[in-house]
Amino acid sequence: MNIFLLLRLFVYITLMACTFTVSATPIIEIEIRDHLFFPAEIHIPADTKVKLIIINKDPAAEEFESYELNREKVIPGGSKGVIFIGPLRSGEYPFFGEFFPKTAQGRVIVK
Amino acid sequence: MLLNAVIIILRELVEASLVISIFLAFSQRFNISRHWLFIGLIIGVTSAILYAMNINTISQWLDGVGQEVVNAGIHLLIYVVLLLFVIFSLHVKKARVEKFVIFLMFIGVALASIREGSEIILYIDGFLKNPDLLKPVLFGSAIGAGIGISLGVIFYYSLIGLSNKAGAGVGFLLCLLVAGGMVLQATQLLSQADWIASQYPLWNTSIWISEGSLIGQLLYALVGYESTPTLTQVLFYISAVGSMVVLTYLSKIYASRTS
Repeated sequence: MNIFLLLRLFVYITLMACTFTVSATPIIEIEIRDHLFFPAEIHIPADTKVKLIIINKDPAAEEFESYELNREKVIPGGSKGVIFIGPLRSGEYPFFGEFFPKTAQGRVIVK
Repeated sequence: MLLNAVIIILRELVEASLVISIFLAFSQRFNISRHWLFIGLIIGVTSAILYAMNINTISQWLDGVGQEVVNAGIHLLIYVVLLLFVIFSLHVKKARVEKFVIFLMFIGVALASIREGSEIILYIDGFLKNPDLLKPVLFGSAIGAGIGISLGVIFYYSLIGLSNKAGAGVGFLLCLLVAGGMVLQATQLLSQADWIASQYPLWNTSIWISEGSLIGQLLYALVGYESTPTLTQVLFYISAVGSMVVLTYLSKIYASRTS
C-alpha cells in the first residue's frame, strides 16, 4: 500500500475519532465571583468525561485545585480556563481555589 | 491567608531550590564557575514575568489548554536536562563536556524559574489591588521564600559534606526522583488537557499521605508525589526513571573505559 494513502487513512481515522469525542463530551460551566464558585456543587454521570469551563469574573487569579480529581490550573483574573475531568467512579470529589481556599470551595458529585 | 501564602511560595520554591543546590554542589566539587546560576535566574525570572503577563493568551491556545501543554513541555524539558546532566556529568573533566554541562545547568535553572516564578507572580499579583490582604500575603510569601531557600542551603551543605562517591550517589538519586516527578506531572497536565486519555487510578495512598497535607505537598513539589496515579502515569514514570538509570550506567561504563 502506498505510504501516503496510509497516512491519509490515519488522518481520517484520527479526525473521526476527534469529532466523536468532542461531540460526546458534556460541558459544564463554573463561575468564580468574589472568590466563590457558582455553582459550588456540580453533578456529573459516572464513567463520563466532562469538560469544565471555569470563568473567573474576579480581577485576581485563582488556582482551581483538586487532589481527588488530580487537577490543578491557574485561571487568570477576568479570564477562563478549560479542564477535562473524568471518567470517574461514583463518589464525591472536592475542589477548591488554592489562592483563596477559605471561601473558594466546591465539589463534584459523580453518580 | 498568611499560612496559605507560606505554603504556596514554599511549595513553588522548594523544587527549584533542590535542583539549584545539586548543581551548586556539583560546581563546587569540580571547581566550575557559577555564572550559570545568575544568568539562568535572570533569564528565567524575566521569562516568568513575560509568561505571567501573557497568561491569558497562552491559556486560550489550543482550545483552552495552552497552559497545560506549555507547562507539560517545560516539565519534560527539565526531565531531558536532568537526564543529560547525570549522563554527561560523569565526563565533566573533558573541557568540551564541561561547557555542555554548564549550559545544561543554566537551562535547568532558567526552566525551573519560569515555571515556579510565573505562578508566584500570578498569585501575588492578585493581591496588589487588595491592600488589606496584601500585607499578610507578602509577609507569608517572605517566610515561605525564607524556608524554601534555607532548605536549599541545607541540601547544598549536606551534599558537599559527603564524600565524593556518596555525594555523587545522593546527587544522582535526587536528580532521578525530581526527573521522575517532572514526567509524572507532565502526564497529569496532558490528561487534564485531554491530550492523554484519563483513566481510573491504580491505587490510592491518600489514607497514608494526603496530597493536601504539608508533607504531601512537599513530596509533590520535590518528587511529584501522587496518591492516585493512573496506569499511564505509572508507565511513564517507570520508563523515565528506568531509562535514566540505564543510560547513566552505560555512561559510567564508557567513562571507566576511556579514563
